[in-house]
Amino acid sequence: MPLIFPTDFSDRLAPMLVKELRQGMRAKTFIAVFLSLQVFLGVMLFSAGAAASSDQVGSLISGIIFTFFAVAVLIVQPLRGISALSSEVKGNTIDMMVLTRLSAWRIVFGKWVAIVGQSALLFSTIIPYLILRYFFGGMNLFGEMVFLFLMFFTSMALTAITVGLSGCTSAIIRALLPALGPPALLMFVLEGGLFRNSSNFIDLFSLNNDYSRIGVACYVALITYLGGSMLSLGASLIAPAAENHSIIRRLVALVAMFVILCLCVFGKLPREALVLLMGVITVPAITIALTESAPLVQTVCKPFVRRGRVGKALGCFFYPCWSSGVLFSLLLGSMAICCWFLITLDPPFLQSIRPAWPAAGRSYWNLEETIVVLSLLGGLFFPSVWQIFLFRGDGQRVAHYLLLLVGSFLVLGVFVALADSMNSGNFLWFFAWNPLVFIAMVMESKIEEHVILVGVVIVNLILTLILFVRALMELRSYSPVIKEAEISNLNEAG
Amino acid sequence: MSALKVNNLYRYFGALQAVNGVTFEIPHGSVCGFVGANGAGKTTTMRILATLDYPTLGSAEVCGINVVHRPAEVRRLIGWMPDHFGNYEHMTVLEYLDFYARALGYKGRERRERIQEVMDFTDLVPLADRFSNQLSKGMTQRLGLGRALLHDPQVLVMDEPAAGLDPKARVELKHLIRVLAKEGKTIFISSHILSELGEMCDSLLFINNGRIVHHGDAETLKRGSDSVGGVLYDVQVDGDPQAVSDWCVLQPNVEFLEARKNGGRIRIDTQDPAKAADVLARMVKDQLRITEFHREQRNLEDAFIDILGRLDAGQEAIAQARPAALVKISDP
Repeated sequence: MPLIFPTDFSDRLAPMLVKELRQGMRAKTFIAVFLSLQVFLGVMLFSAGAAASSDQVGSLISGIIFTFFAVAVLIVQPLRGISALSSEVKGNTIDMMVLTRLSAWRIVFGKWVAIVGQSALLFSTIIPYLILRYFFGGMNLFGEMVFLFLMFFTSMALTAITVGLSGCTSAIIRALLPALGPPALLMFVLEGGLFRNSSNFIDLFSLNNDYSRIGVACYVALITYLGGSMLSLGASLIAPAAENHSIIRRLVALVAMFVILCLCVFGKLPREALVLLMGVITVPAITIALTESAPLVQTVCKPFVRRGRVGKALGCFFYPCWSSGVLFSLLLGSMAICCWFLITLDPPFLQSIRPAWPAAGRSYWNLEETIVVLSLLGGLFFPSVWQIFLFRGDGQRVAHYLLLLVGSFLVLGVFVALADSMNSGNFLWFFAWNPLVFIAMVMESKIEEHVILVGVVIVNLILTLILFVRALMELRSYSPVIKEAEISNLNEAG
Repeated sequence: MSALKVNNLYRYFGALQAVNGVTFEIPHGSVCGFVGANGAGKTTTMRILATLDYPTLGSAEVCGINVVHRPAEVRRLIGWMPDHFGNYEHMTVLEYLDFYARALGYKGRERRERIQEVMDFTDLVPLADRFSNQLSKGMTQRLGLGRALLHDPQVLVMDEPAAGLDPKARVELKHLIRVLAKEGKTIFISSHILSELGEMCDSLLFINNGRIVHHGDAETLKRGSDSVGGVLYDVQVDGDPQAVSDWCVLQPNVEFLEARKNGGRIRIDTQDPAKAADVLARMVKDQLRITEFHREQRNLEDAFIDILGRLDAGQEAIAQARPAALVKISDP
């Protein structure tokens, strides 16, 4: 009996996208969000139009549209990605996909694009309401459109985070995201909804001055990098051992950090923007590098080994395992510290090079901020050191690392509260093995800042030394695999 | 060249030795059964062959292509059917196969033809519009087989495809496998149902604790594994079936093998029919109310149990130590 084949999607579309769209468009969550958004917007728009006086109504309508759209695309849609990969892993279907021509990256990317596509559909459905709102007057059209697009970009990045982390099979992490994420975002959305009533808020997105343009450009760059990193993490988590996704991710991070270093010397970006860029590049790159747990197989080693000693040395930074991740993180961390000193110290030799450094000749050096930056950097290495002792042969590195990280930040919160209530921070020295504790010390102003700086430097050095030694030991244990790769290369050449 | 060639394959998960020096070859166009207890290393070996896992040491080749060095080429030659796989929500059977056909690179008419062919073969056409997560286990297995056949692989690796199937679905699956074997495909299939494997397979591989303990055809296996010798008889009695085992304990040359509903299965350690008649006479004399006494063929379960028994008794010394080359490799 001849079959009637579906003609809903073209052959040119990626298979993963077709699959996800077919499933996603029938999913109850999407239908519910889509319909409720229309119903709420319709009802609220008409009731607002009837109730408010003419000079307020435009702003009120914008507030309603943005708030409901934000809830839909910043909370509900990203949360749909939370089981995107784990459901495939649990259902044993990921193996069957890997056996096709779909690479791990295409699987993750397809899942992400499908959810983003559905968010775009939601985005397109609010356009009629925005047109309607335009006729009520008092609208900063360009600013509101930019704000809306930024919200959509943010939704894309948040979806990338949930899709990427969904590759982690730990139920705890996937439970933490919906438990902690939506309340935080809801606060942000509501605050934004209140904020945006003031015209100054929307002016931030009007791109009519340098501050606005640089701010928007930095934000887009940051969320693009963050989203890309998280999708790459998802690909790493589901990829076969023979695929090395780390190399591209780590190279991108190093290049991005190098660009920031150059910007610190030659650029004229505001200091805040540089610090933000530095932070957003460093944190995900180090976090992912320290949590990679793919076993090293000869297929991955072969391209490095083929390039002789230089290749082998590069492999120590780019193999898809946590031990090479430690060396890479130390390199990236060092570059970040260099950036920090270039930004804050404004050394005299740079003053002639820098074209139009804001407030040139003025030092931004701030001991407190330096301690905080060093503590945060150390705080990224701290969970990894714990993992060495607590979870050896760990198959859930990402989950355990994130739990330890969240835990150490919670401990920081407790210490800050304790120090505040006791009006003394001396007891904090007992917990100084956790670099984040130094942030609490800084906040407790009675402790000498130079002493704290020495403390955080010593603790960071100890942590990095432990990690470095352990990473070298781990890399040494790979020598049989590397030798096997060498023999294989020789056989192929022969 | 063999369709599948595994040479000294090892796979360790931490301290666990899942596969421990497995070596075998399977010729083109043959059906090979893979038998072993749970945790014996069947699935790990099959996953390595399907490029889903990697060996700690040793090599595996599909049609002469190394699974570690050239996995993409191996994937084009191999069809993989796992023991369990989840189906997608909100996706019909036709859309399911359409997705995999797209993922395998088929486009347009070629894709439609492949899907039609596979659905005809697996008799899935009437189910085309049914959601794939609403299928019965038997239908799901047929869908899985259809998916594995989409790219017309030369070698089919099936991990316990009959597990959990009702008798009708099992017969259907067996029929499909026979047809595929006639088409000249190499089939490597694992199962716990040894009688079925005996009927389907040209050869059988027994694996225990990660090592191959026997490789041969079913008949050779039945004969070769019979280290104890003797003849098997089914004995049925009127009354307490326990009486048969109690009686056997006191008899020389008679061994009670397994209890059955109204009696049990015994082994008489001689081929001489006269001796069997003597045993029957003794049973009657000892007031066992025999209702049935007939000779039975050794089956594959007997062979398997014999082989495991021999191993347990230490008749085959197995070196459990890790090869020296592996000691330094860090297990993931």
